[in-house]
Amino acid sequence: MTIPLRLALRELRHDWIAALCFVAALVGVLGPMLIILALKNGVIGGMVDRLVEDPANREIIAVGTGAYDPAFFDWLGQRPDVDFVSPATRSINALADGLRSADGKKTELSVPLIVSAPGDPLLGAVPVAAGKVWITAALAEKLGVTDGGGVTMFIGREISGRQESARVELTVVGVVPSERYRRAALFLSLPDMLAVERFRDSAAITPDTWLDDITSPSQFASFRLYARDLADLEGVMQALSGRGVETRPRAENAVLLLKFRSNLDLIYGLLAVLALAGFWAAMAANLRGMVERRRLAFSLLRLIGLSGRARMVIPLLQSLMLIGCGIGLSFAVVLPVLGVLNVVVPGAESDVIATLRWRDVLGAVGIGALTAVTAAGWAMRAVAAIQSEEVLRNG
Amino acid sequence: MALREAVPSAVPGTSARQAVAELRNLGCALGSDLFVVIESLTLFAGDVLVLDAPSGTGKSTVLGLMAGIIPAADLQGRVQRMFGRDLADPSRPFAPPTAAELGFVLQTSTLIPYLSLAENIDLPAAIARCTVAADWRAQLIRQLGIETLLRRMPHQVSVGQRQRAAIARAMLARPRLLLMDEPVSALDPSNVRRVETLILDLARQAGAAVVLASHQVDRSAFAAERRAAHRVVHHQGVAYSLFHDAEGRA
Repeated sequence: MTIPLRLALRELRHDWIAALCFVAALVGVLGPMLIILALKNGVIGGMVDRLVEDPANREIIAVGTGAYDPAFFDWLGQRPDVDFVSPATRSINALADGLRSADGKKTELSVPLIVSAPGDPLLGAVPVAAGKVWITAALAEKLGVTDGGGVTMFIGREISGRQESARVELTVVGVVPSERYRRAALFLSLPDMLAVERFRDSAAITPDTWLDDITSPSQFASFRLYARDLADLEGVMQALSGRGVETRPRAENAVLLLKFRSNLDLIYGLLAVLALAGFWAAMAANLRGMVERRRLAFSLLRLIGLSGRARMVIPLLQSLMLIGCGIGLSFAVVLPVLGVLNVVVPGAESDVIATLRWRDVLGAVGIGALTAVTAAGWAMRAVAAIQSEEVLRNG
Repeated sequence: MALREAVPSAVPGTSARQAVAELRNLGCALGSDLFVVIESLTLFAGDVLVLDAPSGTGKSTVLGLMAGIIPAADLQGRVQRMFGRDLADPSRPFAPPTAAELGFVLQTSTLIPYLSLAENIDLPAAIARCTVAADWRAQLIRQLGIETLLRRMPHQVSVGQRQRAAIARAMLARPRLLLMDEPVSALDPSNVRRVETLILDLARQAGAAVVLASHQVDRSAFAAERRAAHRVVHHQGVAYSLFHDAEGRA
């Protein structure tokens, strides 16, 4: 063991009460900060992240009906800030009169229809296609349908006072989880949506022929549109506004949510900086005070030949040891507290209430080491200035 | 003023290579009205020199000047040759004496408070990486009567025991020069004579030259030892406290 390390350890052991008080003070600062960070990582951050990452919050809805040609959709589809766009029919036609389970035992009336296409952010890898649909979890539960099952869709119309109904057997290729879409709805392909609209609008189309020869119209009344990111919402909406298309975001508070997340990071960062500054000042003052209390001992060490470098290393080593103990003890206190929190307080779904990541641990150690080194500077300068004649004069 | 006159750099009849210390016109100011000067002083191995002067005349300062821990004023004719090295040579960086060259016993504040007596005793030799003969260490500690106290901390022993540990620390590496600043002044009177005799005895065994500052020498074990002459000269409102070797070796 080198002499400075031995001297640093011996002094801390000799003044163990003062050292313990300092470590306790450090735990008092660092402990709450780690718990706040763990909560930020856990329940708070998780909730916000989930809201921010929910594709439903990125949806842009057209206000009213319009006339959108293929060039419009090409333009939108090529924009880097657009994640998904699909032509859609008038909303009045986006409703099935009924949906019945394949065994015929359960029927759900007035089921909303949502047009979909490959790349739909709400659906999984298998895309919808003619006759192949996704069904929301809420609707699947009501009908007792699972992935791979079948349903029968009924579309009704009234022509000259006469009620008519068309039907089609559809294969369920996926179930949309409730966290993606909570309400009962059926996601189907554009050709199927166009067939529904055509059947409702045209008396020439019969229940027997309603699925035949479906062609794309030259213009569509609406669209389904998702921005690539929450931050892209505003840009896409402004671009649409520039083309005279009035829109609104599905989640009115989506942008506020984004600001909240960045503010949350900022607030924690400010808290951490303030705590760190206070801790740094306390550390520097404490180390400087330790040097002053041991002024004669440092003078004597110089008198008996300990080099300047070796003497200056002593407060640095003590700083590193004190902060190391403080960080270690903080984790020793905080980790069980987090464990208790996660057991006692119920989290949403699979989320934990509070968690620390490895990078948080490494960050705390790294910042602690940096603080130890920089805070020791004042004490080191003071040690360097202590002359060996001081102990002679005091003697 | 004689201080300002040039003096020979070596004393006739002495050899600089053999001298432990050879000093001329080495001094420093203490405040604005006192100047402490070693006019001339030469020490060889085994010499014992007592600085016998009243309190406040700069005896500790003389020891500090000799040890090189008090910066010397740039007096004309200054000679500061210690252990064969010219410390007054500005072209050479100051190298502090090692534990094998110099041992220092202070009046008080003698030990590092957070080290045991044994650690205090061994520290200078460890710093200087000196190899210490185990039998010499054991003899030193036994003769100073602190063999049962080695694991104790300084605050757990008496002032006298602390002082004896400090003496052991200064002598452990068998230094060529031992500087002692009133080493027995804090001791119980009944122990003073015994410790003084021990210091002389151990210093002779170590082969060290000794310079001892004291102001009560006449009834001590050092009474028969060589003394530095001391006088105070007042000049233009400044008191010059002058020390020189009185027995012609300087």
